[in-house]
Order: sequence, then structure tokens, then C-alpha cells
Amino acid sequence: MRLEDFGMDALTLPGPLDGKLDAIRRAGFSQVMLSAADLAGYPGGEDCAIRAVRKSGLRVTGLQVLREFEGLSGPLHDYKVGVAKSMLEMARAAAAPLLLVCSTTSPHASGDFDAQVADLRKLAMLAVPLRVRIAYEALSWGRFVDALPGAWALVQAADRANLGLAIDAFHFVASGTPLEALEEIYPGKLFLVQLSDFVGSAPASPEERRETARHLRVFPGEGSHSDRLAELIRAVDQIGYESDFSFEVFNDDYMQMSPSRVAERARRSLDWIVSRVSRRSLPVRRAASPAGTRRAD
Amino acid sequence: MVNEALPLPANPLGIRGIEFIEYATREPLALGALLSRMGFHEVARHRSREVVLFRQGGMNVIVNAHAEAVRESVRGNAPAISAIAFQVGDAAYAHRRALALGAWDMPTRAAEMELHIPGIHGAGDSLVHFVDRVDEFSIYDVDFVWTRGVDRHPPALFGLHWFGVVESVFPDRIGDWTDFYTTLLGFERLDASHFVGVLPKGTLLRSPGGYFYVQLVEPPPGADFVEWDEQLLRVGLGTPDVPKAVQGLQERGIVFVDREPLRPSERGALTQIYFGSVCFELVHSDAPPARPRATERR
Repeated sequence: MRLEDFGMDALTLPGPLDGKLDAIRRAGFSQVMLSAADLAGYPGGEDCAIRAVRKSGLRVTGLQVLREFEGLSGPLHDYKVGVAKSMLEMARAAAAPLLLVCSTTSPHASGDFDAQVADLRKLAMLAVPLRVRIAYEALSWGRFVDALPGAWALVQAADRANLGLAIDAFHFVASGTPLEALEEIYPGKLFLVQLSDFVGSAPASPEERRETARHLRVFPGEGSHSDRLAELIRAVDQIGYESDFSFEVFNDDYMQMSPSRVAERARRSLDWIVSRVSRRSLPVRRAASPAGTRRAD
Repeated sequence: MVNEALPLPANPLGIRGIEFIEYATREPLALGALLSRMGFHEVARHRSREVVLFRQGGMNVIVNAHAEAVRESVRGNAPAISAIAFQVGDAAYAHRRALALGAWDMPTRAAEMELHIPGIHGAGDSLVHFVDRVDEFSIYDVDFVWTRGVDRHPPALFGLHWFGVVESVFPDRIGDWTDFYTTLLGFERLDASHFVGVLPKGTLLRSPGGYFYVQLVEPPPGADFVEWDEQLLRVGLGTPDVPKAVQGLQERGIVFVDREPLRPSERGALTQIYFGSVCFELVHSDAPPARPRATERR
């Protein structure tokens, strides 16, 4: 885990894209997870937005988010494939190496496992010529996939080189996913980890989880689940994860603060993570871990 | 009635061979002259576009200098391999199936040509076409004018036949492109014991029926300074006698790389790079696979 492995989701920050990029860079981060809405809504359009991102010097972690993709059929499926193609082209144009996809919540989606596998395979195939990877994330209020094991089952069954997982710490903690679920995952198949904590106890219903996720997220170190979060980050490191971490913290209060102040909180949160998940302790733990040894094969 | 279009399980598209390989170039005369030295004969020209068909034995090469094709496929002045056309049982089915599995349809420019050959995006800016009914009539009959007084089926020199293509891929992209060829075209990944030719590296994929190979190569380690892109780098030509083919082609003016470890051998040989991008690899391969021969109307 190194400083350059951490970045911020543009969605975490208020205001226009230029201010977000500037705040992220000034806070000492070197990468940004872009939101398609930030690019599409930029004055002058997507091309100008991409030029602004390039000019910022920030590395692009990925692009988010493709929703409600898997399990659809007929015209709805065709429509979503069209949306996916647009987002993939945007990802390529923005030099985003991955596209984040959330598990479906759609009432129109089928829960048929094989149909969902086929759709993820199709998405992965669409991404091949564009050199984009697909990171599939379990939304904790997803209709069929609401936690990591379900997402991993689909990704494993689809078995495509450019298809992997994203873990959003909020969903992981809110859904009460046991840390053992991580031991099943081949680290090379974990493409992204998004970090946030939240205020209050774990919400019981999908609706409560949705509300909490959208309004009550806070930075790691500021919330009610610090220990759990530290365990998660440590466990992810232990299985041999070597890719990016991004702060994804939606909060109505942050939307009323200057981007630089929010980015500063992210930077303090990173300091908290470093203090809780000490770099020195990690190699020792990993060497002692049979799971870690197995993953090294 | 026997329905030949019914694909076998291991060959979902009923791939039977390569119909043509296309180069896009701004300098068709120079590339044509090189192809002639390699044993190809110009046999036909497109009715309305700057597109020429070269042929020897079972191999068709299309040299496309049409402005749109060149603009999309050629960077700088170096010619590029811009398309591979597979002979399949049912081209429309192959195209539909590929799109349903996540292939990108080919750009409109090709669809606007008189020749309606369905295709999908392949490596870099190249296309993968699907051609059927090669036994009944030829796709060239529609849009090409045969050159007068020229044998439309010139025999191949030294038993030359299509062997494969080499595709350069970015680091960590072998798996992605392996998925592409295995899923969309039914290729299989071979282990290292199958390697042939003078450059046994990367990953080798074999088409159903063994007609054709795709070799995926990543940039060599530590080669950050090398300009590297995803594209079809070169074609491989099979011949039962590599040294004889090398000697014969040298006599026709073709220059082969003659330094270790690429020195011509029984296993294979590599020509020099022409025009900054065009290169042919000879590979030992006993017999050209039995291939349905197109019967053009005369």
C-alpha cells in the first residue's frame, strides 16, 4: 500500500470538475475516479472535460458507473448495451482503465444466474477492443446480488480476463459481509476498492442502506465502524491486493463545503488508515498467512 | 439434403479457412510490387475504388488504397493489415452471433461499399470479416473486374499457404485477446509445445480445423522505449520447405533477416520489414489445408 495507490472519487466532491481536480491534486493525491456525469455535463462537453483531466496530471483510476445492466432482455437489454458502449467509449477517451458496474436493482431484470453471467461476459467482450476492464460491484440493496460472495460467484462463472470485482467498503460493512468472504477471492480479480465509513449502526433494510449510502457516508476514521474498516483494508492487503483505493464518500454536508476542505478530509483519512493499518505490520501478517501463501500460486 | 452451414460444436461458426487478408496503404503500387516478389499475382481490380486483388494458390490479398479505409487504418505512411476474412458456414449467422456475444459491429464505411461483407472490430483498427458461399460464387465477381489474359488461379510458389497472423498486444492483455478469439471465433489456446517458426514467444491460438493461427505477443520486458501498439503485425505463410522457399524468394529480391536468433532455418524465416511495417514470416507447415476453391464465373 503506497500513497500513490490512493485517490478520490470525483463524486465525493462538490462543484464543477475543474475545482474537484484541483482540490484532489492539491491534497496530494495522484489519481481520480471519474464520474460519467462529470464528463458529460462539463461546459463544452466531454472532449473539453477529458482535456481538463489530462491537464490536471491526475491518473484516471476508472469511470463510474454503469447501472442496471445484467439480467435484462429484449429492447431493454439492447438499450443498456447501447448505454454500456457509450460509457466504454468514454472510458477509453478519458484513459480510464476500468468501468465500474453495479449489481442490478431493476424490477425488469431476471435473476437467472446464467443469463446474468452471459450479460457480464458480453460486457467484458465489448470492453476488450477498447482496453477497458470491467469492475463489478455488489450494491448492498442489489436485487439479486447484494454482497461480495454473490458478485464473486458471477465474476467467477463468467471467467473473463478483463472482468473482476470492485469492493465498496460501505456495502461490505453495511451488508455485514464476513471478512472470510475475501479469502475466496483471487487478488488479481479484485480491480478496485472504494473506501468510506458511515454514521450510525448497520442499516437493516435495503431501503435504509440506500438512504445511508447516499447521505450519511463519512471518511474512514470519521464514522461508526472504524475497527471494521481497518480490518477490511488489512484483509484486502493480506490477500495480496495491489491495485487502487479510492475514497467514495457521498454526504450532503460535503456538498456544502469547498472541494479543498473535503479533499483535506480525505487526506486526513489516509493518514488515519496509515496509522491503523501500519505498513510495517503487513508483510509479517501476510507471510504468516496460509491464505496469502495459497494466493501467491 | 445436407446443410453444410450447420456448425459443429467445436467450430461454432463453421470456419473453413481464410478468404482474404487485406492491407490498407497509401502506396498501393509499392506494396503490389512487394507482393509480386512474394509470388502473388494481380488478378482483379475493384470496379470503382482503388482496391486490387492479389492471389497465389489458396491465398487472396486485397490491397486497399481507398481513401476512407486508409484514413481509418493507416498511421503515417506505413501500410497496415486492415482486415482478415474468415470463410464460415453462414456469414449472417456468424455476424449475428458475434454481436450477441459482445463484438462491435464494423464501421459504416465498409458497409457503404458495394461489397457487403459483414464484419466486426478486431485488433487495433482492423476488422474481422465473415464470408460464406465460397463454393457457389466468389465475392470478387460482384465488385471486381478480372484482369484480362491473366490466370485467375495462379499456383503458389513453394507450396505457400496461409499459416497465421501475429498480433501485438499491450502488457497484461493476452487474456483479453484470448477471450476474444476463443469466444467469438472458436479458437483454442495451445500450450508452448506447439510453438513453431523462428519467434516462439507469446501465446498461440489455433482456429477450428487448424487452418490458421493467431500469435499474441506482448512487448518484450524492459522495452519501455519501444513504440508498441495493438495491431496485426505480420502474416505467417506456411511452406513445406522453408530453406527452398527462402532461397527462391531471395532470388526474387526478397531480403530475409539473417542474424541470430532470427536466421532462416528449417523451422522458419522472417523477411526484413518493408515500408516501415510490412513483414512476412515463413513457417514450416507440411501441407496447405484442404480448402474449398472459389469458382468464379467466367
